Amino acid sequence: MPGVASDTVGNGALVPFSDDTKDSLAVYPLHHGLAPPISRLAISWSRGNSLRVSLFASPSSSEPSSTSDDQSGGKVLEVKLGVGDPEISDSRWRQIAYGSVAPFALLQSRRSALSAMMNSSSPYQMDWWEHMLEYSKDITSLLGGPKLPPSPIIEEPTDIVKKGEEPTCLKAAWELLEIFYADKQSQAWLPERLVDWLADYDSLFSSTQETVYGKLALFQKELVNIQVIEDDPRYWQVMSSALSVGWLDIVVKMLRLHGSYQQDQLSNRELENGLVEAVAVLISKTPRLCHESTIGKLGELFKSKPDFIKAWEKWRSQITKLDCSPFWIQCDNRRTREGLRNLLQIMLGNTESLCSATCYWIELYISHFLYIRPFTMGIESMYNLAQKCIQLKPPSSNHKLTGLMIVILEENTEVVLAESSREFGPWLVAHAIELLTAGSEQAEIVLHEERDNLGGISMIELHRLVYAQVLSTHELTWQIAPIYLTSCMKQGMGLLENLLYRQSVQHNDLLLKNIEICRLYQLDHISSDIMKVAGVYHWKHGHKGAGVYWLQQSQDTSRLNRIAQQLFDSVGKSISDESFKQWEGLIELLGSESKPAGGLEFLHKYRDFKKSLQQVYSGKSMDAARQAVVSLLLLMKNPSTPQRFWLPLLYDSLKLFNWQECPLLNVSEINLLLNKLQELSSARLHPHFSEPNLPAEALSSIRLALATNLGRAILDE
Amino acid sequence: MAATAMLQPERPIVHRLPQHKCIDAVRWLPQLSPFDRFAVLAAFDTDSGSSSIEIHSLKPNPLSLQPHSSFSSSSRVSSLRASQFLQKTVVAASTAAGSLHILFSDPADARFESELSVPEEEGLHSVPGSCVDLMDGGVECVTVGEDGRVNLVSIGNSNLSYRRLFDSGGLVSYTAAKWASPVEFATGGYGFSLQWWDQRKPGGPVSQFKANWDQKFCAGIVHSIDIHPSRKHTCLAGGSLGTVFAWDLRWQQQPIILSGAGAGAGAGNTGVQSISESEVWDVQYDRCIKSSATSTRILPAMICSEDGILAVIEQGEEPIELLAEPCAINSFDIDHHNPSDVICSLEWEAVAILTRQ
Repeated sequence: MPGVASDTVGNGALVPFSDDTKDSLAVYPLHHGLAPPISRLAISWSRGNSLRVSLFASPSSSEPSSTSDDQSGGKVLEVKLGVGDPEISDSRWRQIAYGSVAPFALLQSRRSALSAMMNSSSPYQMDWWEHMLEYSKDITSLLGGPKLPPSPIIEEPTDIVKKGEEPTCLKAAWELLEIFYADKQSQAWLPERLVDWLADYDSLFSSTQETVYGKLALFQKELVNIQVIEDDPRYWQVMSSALSVGWLDIVVKMLRLHGSYQQDQLSNRELENGLVEAVAVLISKTPRLCHESTIGKLGELFKSKPDFIKAWEKWRSQITKLDCSPFWIQCDNRRTREGLRNLLQIMLGNTESLCSATCYWIELYISHFLYIRPFTMGIESMYNLAQKCIQLKPPSSNHKLTGLMIVILEENTEVVLAESSREFGPWLVAHAIELLTAGSEQAEIVLHEERDNLGGISMIELHRLVYAQVLSTHELTWQIAPIYLTSCMKQGMGLLENLLYRQSVQHNDLLLKNIEICRLYQLDHISSDIMKVAGVYHWKHGHKGAGVYWLQQSQDTSRLNRIAQQLFDSVGKSISDESFKQWEGLIELLGSESKPAGGLEFLHKYRDFKKSLQQVYSGKSMDAARQAVVSLLLLMKNPSTPQRFWLPLLYDSLKLFNWQECPLLNVSEINLLLNKLQELSSARLHPHFSEPNLPAEALSSIRLALATNLGRAILDE
Repeated sequence: MAATAMLQPERPIVHRLPQHKCIDAVRWLPQLSPFDRFAVLAAFDTDSGSSSIEIHSLKPNPLSLQPHSSFSSSSRVSSLRASQFLQKTVVAASTAAGSLHILFSDPADARFESELSVPEEEGLHSVPGSCVDLMDGGVECVTVGEDGRVNLVSIGNSNLSYRRLFDSGGLVSYTAAKWASPVEFATGGYGFSLQWWDQRKPGGPVSQFKANWDQKFCAGIVHSIDIHPSRKHTCLAGGSLGTVFAWDLRWQQQPIILSGAGAGAGAGNTGVQSISESEVWDVQYDRCIKSSATSTRILPAMICSEDGILAVIEQGEEPIELLAEPCAINSFDIDHHNPSDVICSLEWEAVAILTRQ
């Protein structure tokens, strides 16, 4: 913890750093505003990538200097580690996390449906490719809007580079993985897809090196200041660069800016213009293998390879013919002549021209696909070609996308994972691993193999767990972590239980969302535990009703019994007529007798007894009196009625025993009550017996009343 | 097939608008001009840990919400109401820390002009959780809480004054409140309990409802109550386990179950459809659907739930699902002026606006 160990206030470094570690240390000052000296320092992990640093001022020093008003004894600071992703903000990351839940869940359910059928013969295998591609496309659409922005209504003729939505490295990486692993259907035109990929994402490389996109953007800016465009060497340079990476639309558009097209000059520059136009036509007729992303682009599209090869040969011969044409000698504009012939050289695949037109190795690599080896090749030869391009244009600095490209071509699944994880973080790995398993059977075995060095889990599970941990640390994303955890066979459930236990029970909304997750994954034992925790929490904070509710929901009879004991203390004192309304709600909550209420069951009968007794006192109804007697006997017979309530209950019932019209209790009932009194007097000898708060003569008056009632009852019988 | 296709109501047009903040509650503001429409959002920004109550204006083509005016609140908003009072828009918000904020805005420009509040130190409610309802016409608020307190807050010109109508001392907790008339209101709580209160009769609820649900039917928590101005004797309540029920004061102790996981178990409630099995967070009478129901039937109601359902339910009819999201829908509001428009807040930091045809 280098940042914390050094203290800005200057009361000495707490940890001495040795010289040899100094280079790897970064020291960050911490502004805590406490007066020195600091007596104690505690560091712990907070949510996410934050550290919680607690600083305690020494108590002796703060005492004399307490003249300053807000002199505090300590401070707790949150220190955020890492600057995050400069390209994608935290809230954008969360949006991506939310959006990827549905595609991921769909793919998992399809996978389990497939493995349920088990005999995954070829027809299912076919389906599986489609599912995988659909998944990949869903994720792609999540990472950014459509590639092509809606074209403006009035298109500026000088608008060369269109600026769409800012591309991100994350999306570029995803598409790269899709091209190589998921889209098996279009393996045949993999190079074609790479050409399109570079067209979309070349701008990203501008951060570390010169790119064709960067050159174009720069030229675009200066375009307004250029008088005679074809005399500017940059015009020709930029065009050759754009052509080398196959941006045909841009090159044709730029060629049409050539001065010879201007009306007033057309007559005396007819020949020159003819050559420019011929080249433009040839460029726009470049044969291309057709797939979905080439639609709407320049070039002649061919669906089948034989047709394409035939057209390619024809196209090349046309270029050669033009290159050897005698018109060049007649063209007197040197720059136009040289520029156009250079463009032809690029189309003919002249290595030197390509090398000087492109800026870095990936561009050179793409130009090879376009003009030298336009036919499909295996990954191995693609790798060799990449090596050759790297030799021709050694990279001056490393970009994370070039790194990814190289490891993909190296065909080592584990290295691809490691690289993606290092450069693009856990989200990409957790989701892209699905694509990698689709790559080959061998990759699937490597990723699903359980490894001892990972604690018996597979690579796939490891990366999902890592991602789920990242989700779990944020208060808004923890709810989607269970989707990833439940797809982990070995350790997912254990971590899910941890996650659920860790959530706060303080707020009902959160608690209920937590319980809902338990319900979804049938984790009844966890939800029951969570409800117990919530019950105890509410009980301790004085929300007795809420506490009882949650303990009831979790069917925790033993705790209900325990809290019942506490509750009775207040019942005995305060269930006077005035506060009865407060109790009523709680008693209602206990619900019907079939519900587990533990010792609280007593309260129900007590309520009924009190109610009828109230009626007796107010209206003297005979029925109410009889009802009260029934309730009293139920209470006295019930083992859950605490012993200390016996005397107050009997004392409350004096009026019933002394009922004027007739004795309300028969002989056996009186005997029961007398027995209880007997039990009570023997219990009194027990050291822990607590004397009820009743008048001294209570016991004797109860005895007297019972005796009177007994006498009358015997007479009646 | 053709017949069912014709009967199938047209799907509403849905716009999902990411907010990059957690939206705890959402309400339409009373509309005073046909051109400007505003909604009030209670937002929580996890990056900065700050809460705010924000007025957003609704812009068409493409539909979007533009931040318009904002008030920063001391803690997360637990419930939010908007009403109109003397040519002013009044927004009431209760917070998780137990404070209450009353915000006034001039309807002409819909910006917050002044604010009155009962800070948490004053002990309106002890933590956690409280709920507020603003009387139509906005002169008085009722606030209830898990701490079992029932307060009436009168809104004055420059101050708020409150009196405690009842304090259960935590024996009973309240989780929802709704005015029925200027003197009566209903509250809800644990165990699907409902209470009916009358300001003129202090000392406790006038009437209590606690049905002895069928044994299979577990009790839950009431999250939201609505009372229709034309039928003040009926309380509509939504809560746990997808339960929506109505309590008719004239038929006490016999709930009319409209939806729920245990629906169909109770006598007289057979054939009740259940559209959701999880928490119903919000419930409101749907002012859009003109019901063919006779006066004995419960009016159609809209609900939103933890499992991402926004739907209209009607007694004895198939529920109509308006939205099925992969995440929870935490609150919604039907526009009083254009009842076909519904705004709702989604768990995944977004707001959805629906237009029904």
